Amino acid sequence: MTADLTQLFEQHYESLVRMLYRRTGDRDRAEDLAQETFARAVAAPPNNPRPWLFAVALNLVREDGRRTVRQGRRLELLRTEDRPTEGPDVDFERQERSASIHAALATLGERDREALLLKAEGFNYEEIAATLGLSKGAVGTTLARARRRLVEAYRSEARGKNAAS
Amino acid sequence: MPHLDEGTLHALLDGELELSEVKEIQNHLGSCAACGSRLHDVKEFLTEADRLVADLHTPAGPANFRREPAAPTQAPRVQAASEHPTAGARPWREPVWDAAPELLLPEDPAEVARRRRRTRLFRWAAMIAVVFGVGQFVRSGLTSNTLDLGHSERDIVLAPTPTPPAVVAPEETTRQEAPTAQRSTPAAAVAKDRAPAPRPSPGAKVLAEEPVADTLTEQFDTMIMAAAEDTAPTQAADQVIAGAGRPEADRAERRGSEADAATREAAAAAMEELDRERLRARANAATAALPPPRPEPQATVEPAARTLEQKAQTYLRIGLDEAAKQLGRPMHVIEAMSPEFVGLAQGRTVPGADPNRPVVRVVYRDTRGRMILLDQQRLRTGQAPGAANGNLRWILGDVMLYLHGEPGNDVLRNLQRRVR
Repeated sequence: MTADLTQLFEQHYESLVRMLYRRTGDRDRAEDLAQETFARAVAAPPNNPRPWLFAVALNLVREDGRRTVRQGRRLELLRTEDRPTEGPDVDFERQERSASIHAALATLGERDREALLLKAEGFNYEEIAATLGLSKGAVGTTLARARRRLVEAYRSEARGKNAAS
Repeated sequence: MPHLDEGTLHALLDGELELSEVKEIQNHLGSCAACGSRLHDVKEFLTEADRLVADLHTPAGPANFRREPAAPTQAPRVQAASEHPTAGARPWREPVWDAAPELLLPEDPAEVARRRRRTRLFRWAAMIAVVFGVGQFVRSGLTSNTLDLGHSERDIVLAPTPTPPAVVAPEETTRQEAPTAQRSTPAAAVAKDRAPAPRPSPGAKVLAEEPVADTLTEQFDTMIMAAAEDTAPTQAADQVIAGAGRPEADRAERRGSEADAATREAAAAAMEELDRERLRARANAATAALPPPRPEPQATVEPAARTLEQKAQTYLRIGLDEAAKQLGRPMHVIEAMSPEFVGLAQGRTVPGADPNRPVVRVVYRDTRGRMILLDQQRLRTGQAPGAANGNLRWILGDVMLYLHGEPGNDVLRNLQRRVR
């Protein structure tokens, strides 16, 4: 079991943190949640690890009542942060872009957003269905809606920014 | 066939449909301009959305992503975790956090608070013991009464030890003798005073009845409750306090200032030992939930394979069936070479490929360990094959192939002849 767990950690930690970061917009929080997820895996080793780990992690995000506040605050920080230009302009643009993407993601429904983030981690429809408790047939529709809304929200966000500047 | 819904089109582009379904859809698309244009829109949304999500790079952080296999470490996990602030002492290229990803259980804030409270109580206990001991000594110095020193000292010091006779027997004797002893010997008073704090004993009752101790009774009761929860530090404190009491008693007739200093010293030593014990207990508690024998990461995972997968930039491993589904025919291979694995790569990362569809990537390694990639994508009707005219990029049937990798072009051109 120890070896299994170590392997599980090695295989999925990075992907899990990345997904959680995209979900929460907060790297420290993403790592905390990933740690908590693996701590639960220690307590009850899962049979089907990948969907299990991601489902637990997403549940943890949802359960956390402070989530909305944190996320709002984080997004606000990203958006309005007037940090001194430490690196080249590219970094600043990337941060701006990340903030816009996070803002666009935040407008999506919970399930749509989660399906999208899982897809980005290489989940196929069957795994997404298993993680989110959907039927496999519904995954395509969910992703279709999620992608369309994300792009529309991002575009309108960008338009808003251009108008403001 | 009715018009295609958006979900089906996404499933199609994500490569999630069966071959029969794909054929049916392609037939429909050939005859339905509306669905054709919808497919175009869907493709646009899909590409852009996936790119947006992919662009959310996790910012670099200490415990973040390791690009190199973890270095073997023999250090216990808790040590590694607790020592990370001293990483400066190590070579800069090998920060502690990167060396070994640790599975750290989140600390329970309630437990931390309880530990702090307990430490505070022990500090109070030590301080009160010192003050009380000095007071007693001064008083005994004034009365110059040194009655029955050896007897009472032995009884009282033994009182906190767990053997029943030592606990029970002195109870009767101390009731009569202890008051005298307390007035006469500061060390005995110290030992008696502090002994009850870690564990309730007959001595504690006697002390509570003492007029001097009246004001302290409540505080000691609280301490006893707190201390009873934690046996490891308690035992250590018992030993240290009992040990400290003995030499102190031997010097009972010396001057008050000496005894004062010695008492302080003993108290400090007790506190130090208590702190060490507490740290050990904390370390044990932190690691208790973790499986103790932790195999080195190299032993359980295949760093080479993982690295290769990252290096090859594939996002999903697939089997031969899935590859055949993607290409509409069995995939091409390099003759007499066995692939490490087959995966899907983003179309937009392959020059000449349709950026909206995945590319089947067969990953090889040559005898010198260099990575060779054979990319393949089925050409759609209308897809411009113009880009596919490079030396190492060519078309076989309706599949575009692209051979690239770490070896030089000469080697690749030789391999190209063996692609079937």
